[in-house]
Amino acid sequence: MKNSIRQSIRTGVTFGIVHIFFILIAFNSMISVLIAKLSGIKNPGEIPAPKFYIAFTLLMGLWIGIAALNKKHSLSVGKKLLLSFTTSLTTGLMAGVLDVLLAIILVNKVFIRDFLTVLSFDFIKATLFGMTPVMGTIVTVLCFVAAGVAGGALTILNRTEAVQKFWKNIISWFKKQIEKIQYLSRGKYHLFWQIGGISLLALVAILLPMQWGSYWNYVFGTVGLYVILGLGLNIIVGLSGQLVLGYIAFFAIGAYTMALLNAPEPHNLMWGFWPALLLGVLLSALSGLLLGLPIMRLRGDYLAIVTLGFGEIIRILLKSDVLTNFTGGPRGIQNIKGPMFFGIPFNSEVDFVYLIFAGVILAGFVYNRLKQSRTGRAWLSIREDETVARATGVDTIKYKLLALAIGAAFAGLAGGIYASRNQFTGPDEHALMASINVLSLIIVGGMGNIPGTILGAFTLKGLPEILREFANFRLLAFGALLVFMMLSRPDGLIPSSRPKYDPPTEPAPEIDKKEATHGK
Amino acid sequence: MENSIIQVQGVSKIFGGLTAVNNVDLEVSKGSIYSIIGPNGAGKTTLFNCISGFYIPEHGTVLFQGEALNGRSTDAICSLGLSRTYQNIRLFSNLTAIENVMVGQHPRLRENWMDAVLNTKRCRQEEKISVAEGYKWLEFVGLSEFANAISGSLPYGAQRRLEIARALSSNPVLLLLDEPTAGMNPQETLEMTALIRSLRDQFNITIILIEHDMHVVMGISDQIAVLDFGNKIAEGKPAEIQKNERVIEAYLGPGGAALANKYRRKKAS
Amino acid sequence: MNDPAPLPLVPKGDNNLNTDTAVMKKQKKGSKLLKLLRPALGVVVLLYILFRLYQVLIVQHEYGADTWTRLLISGLIIGGVYALIAIGYTLVYGILFMINFAHGEVMMFGAYAALYSFWGFKLINIPGKETNFLNAYPVIAIILAFLIGMTVSATLGYFLEKIAYRPLRKAPRLVPLISAIGASIFLQNAAQLLFSPQLRDVTNPDILRRGVGWTIVINGNDVILPYTGVFTFILSIILLITLFILVQKSKLGRAMRAVALDKKTAALMGVDVDNTISRTFIISGALAGAAGVMWGIHNGLVYYYVGFIPGIKAFTAAVLGGIGNIPGAMVGGLLLGIVESMGPAALGINFQLKDVLSFVILIIVLTFRPSGLLGEVLSEEKV
Repeated sequence: MKNSIRQSIRTGVTFGIVHIFFILIAFNSMISVLIAKLSGIKNPGEIPAPKFYIAFTLLMGLWIGIAALNKKHSLSVGKKLLLSFTTSLTTGLMAGVLDVLLAIILVNKVFIRDFLTVLSFDFIKATLFGMTPVMGTIVTVLCFVAAGVAGGALTILNRTEAVQKFWKNIISWFKKQIEKIQYLSRGKYHLFWQIGGISLLALVAILLPMQWGSYWNYVFGTVGLYVILGLGLNIIVGLSGQLVLGYIAFFAIGAYTMALLNAPEPHNLMWGFWPALLLGVLLSALSGLLLGLPIMRLRGDYLAIVTLGFGEIIRILLKSDVLTNFTGGPRGIQNIKGPMFFGIPFNSEVDFVYLIFAGVILAGFVYNRLKQSRTGRAWLSIREDETVARATGVDTIKYKLLALAIGAAFAGLAGGIYASRNQFTGPDEHALMASINVLSLIIVGGMGNIPGTILGAFTLKGLPEILREFANFRLLAFGALLVFMMLSRPDGLIPSSRPKYDPPTEPAPEIDKKEATHGK
Repeated sequence: MENSIIQVQGVSKIFGGLTAVNNVDLEVSKGSIYSIIGPNGAGKTTLFNCISGFYIPEHGTVLFQGEALNGRSTDAICSLGLSRTYQNIRLFSNLTAIENVMVGQHPRLRENWMDAVLNTKRCRQEEKISVAEGYKWLEFVGLSEFANAISGSLPYGAQRRLEIARALSSNPVLLLLDEPTAGMNPQETLEMTALIRSLRDQFNITIILIEHDMHVVMGISDQIAVLDFGNKIAEGKPAEIQKNERVIEAYLGPGGAALANKYRRKKAS
Repeated sequence: MNDPAPLPLVPKGDNNLNTDTAVMKKQKKGSKLLKLLRPALGVVVLLYILFRLYQVLIVQHEYGADTWTRLLISGLIIGGVYALIAIGYTLVYGILFMINFAHGEVMMFGAYAALYSFWGFKLINIPGKETNFLNAYPVIAIILAFLIGMTVSATLGYFLEKIAYRPLRKAPRLVPLISAIGASIFLQNAAQLLFSPQLRDVTNPDILRRGVGWTIVINGNDVILPYTGVFTFILSIILLITLFILVQKSKLGRAMRAVALDKKTAALMGVDVDNTISRTFIISGALAGAAGVMWGIHNGLVYYYVGFIPGIKAFTAAVLGGIGNIPGAMVGGLLLGIVESMGPAALGINFQLKDVLSFVILIIVLTFRPSGLLGEVLSEEKV
């Protein structure tokens, strides 16, 4: 028991530090604003009424109380509540100390905003719930403790048999529904259901973009582009195991090809969307090959920095004045003309969503075919053990270059569509962060499989758009999410599984003796 | 030797100050089982690495079916019909067993990435061939029920057999096995020995073996070479090697030959 | 089992049997040309560089000795800072084989520590003297600033390892990398939220004001050897040498090298692996903190992403010198600083492209020496 108490105090201290951090970045304000909006107040302003700050504190306390009982102790109810109490008391006391310090700053009118920007006097007053410092501190501690014990009680309740059974019933209900769907798609009328399902999806895909407005079209379009990027990077990193950190450079090449061939400045070539797109894809593939040549001998982490360098080189070249005459310089290229489909302009926002969907389907199809082929297996063998793969007959250099070229081509495709949709592209859009974003989304989503890439794109690109409320904290949460995901689910949200092969039922065709040499 | 399949001529491998392999000559006749033995650190695996293209020897040449192997990349050497296994098992651990064997067939097949994307006839045929051949070799080594298991999760003995299946699926004419019975119990060792013998008997594959288990070596080898500190100190049939004093001294140390004689006489009496 | 027909050997001239398409032919040719390509490329690059140097130095003679000296000075100063940060990367890489992407942020917090230390000292008024603490006892102030900065960064490094890296020690390489990236993003934004996105000016003690220094006259022009710069450089060298001695001679250093070479055996020999790794992060953090403080003193501007670009540059320097190699990191850092500073002028290219130059140099070095300048020559892999 003593050990558990000590552990509770340690947990309490950790949460105390977290709480202090939250206060110092005004996270409590943001949550309070959120709660205020949820409770119907239209414009709570930056610093809403104190009761919402109390709500924040109560929520923190609740969380702490639940976390205190993370480990499944075999202790009595009373002892468990004691643990929750201890943890939340520890945190509460630390919060109290912070309140006292803040009060001192407030009372002495110390202008500490130069130091820590959030600590305006209004903010401090709100954090103290608008009460006198002493009252505010006491209320803080009480809130923590009360909510903490409540949280502990909730956890205990949750773990009782009755509640556990309740959850199990819900989960099994869901599983049954999924089984029903699977049965339908494989049963007697499976063809009917499959066609029906796909038609429904297609209908939704066609009608929805026309209904839900520009914002969602833009967001889903962006997510779709990132799916294409994710699949391309999956070929390079996920399948062939080459850690490339400058991937966005290929995207830039595709985008700039589209831009330079379709904008009035700087060249006024106006070649049209489709030729430019095709050329962009080819140029990207070619640059993938060119990047590959010097890096073939490099080991994993050297590879990473060189490819990062390559990405930066492209960006700096595009941004510098040196090549302005050719590339439009730091201001980028504007007024890129949109696609035409047999003479009809095809450039409304809805059309672009269709275009991106088509791109995603194409990319997904190619990726899927490659993954389950001799080429895909060669890539995987390189990823697993390059030296042995080579000795097993795989021409590792050729296949590594191939992966780079094809992966780059995907990025070129996405880049071309992107530039056309946004009607603008500039060097700052193709920075290192973008490469990191794509890498993160395939790893968080689940490397090597298509659903994982889609989910990753949604999570890391779609979600922040949806959660615009959290404006300032988006990147902070993003970083924390990455760390959290790696600690809890390093295989990604949808881990890859290996394909299953059934024993052959009919004798296999003979290897064509004419061709039956050791091919490469 | 007329029907020698591989000739190692004067091969030396030097690492900085250390001569790991010193001027070794070998000749292996087609369809035979040739063992290389010697105390630990004698340079056996280094010699294997020189033959299979992992190391480039400082001196000497290796002739495989008349072709010089020197300087060729390991994938080119594999395409010529030489496969190997490794002292520390090196499977593609995250792939399934059958996928490992399917990778082994890579040099025999012709399907390229465009075939895959367009799902051409060649692609469809070769996929069928890959699966069929995969199962064939898995069955041969007795692993067909593990075909879809992740190879890294297989038991040790199964992993060794899988490595052999992978080496076989490129239809080699020469197979290099590096300590195939390492870590195996007597039963598994017997099975492995039978497997190796059947490779030669059924498929006419020449086998070069590095082994420590003398029962295995003496039991199936046609010829044995003994290395010690990088030098070949003896070569011959099993019976000759067993009596060779230099060999005994290499294993047991100086004076070992006399000791062995003493005990042999004792046994006889 | 039926006897499978032995496959025919590949006859000589096998290329004829491969009816590849044009694309694959191009790739195949690429494979073959690679062997010839590298030495040819090397000669071309060398000739080009010599040609440009000749143009700039001899033909056009644009810059006098005074400019070169100025460039050399600033190159050495920034090189010292890069070297300090690079050592942090190389220490961590050597021991864990991971790229500590968040290292730049560790340096950034050190810089903020310096900012606030000096700011705080400035506010303390000394009774009896006219001036404030900062200028009354500048030496103590500077020492304190360094101690605070290095402690903050060291602590940050320690917790970074404990929270974001230690649980992932057995994971495949990409996982701790993403965790490091996540930590980097988190720390950058935490700094932004805590300290505001504003660019802050560091107030130095008066004796160490920026921009002034000893004046040398070269070529009839004044070249300034800035006080802050000299201070930074000398301190960098001292720290680098101290670290080198630490790693080579001390017990901790031996433990670090042992863990770097073979974790399991080191553990068997009684080395506390976790502890050694923690202390490695503490040391690397402290060095980065010192670099951050120096940055604040010499460059004067501190902001939440001040660590990002020097971090990447330092990592490049570590790779350039041979990652995992401590003298390599020092050499790489100094070399990178000098190349960045003097390179564009020497080769007659636009100063905007100095980062391009750095990366191109990196690519060139790695093409010919894949393990870096001082790195261990990777012999053929043992199987």
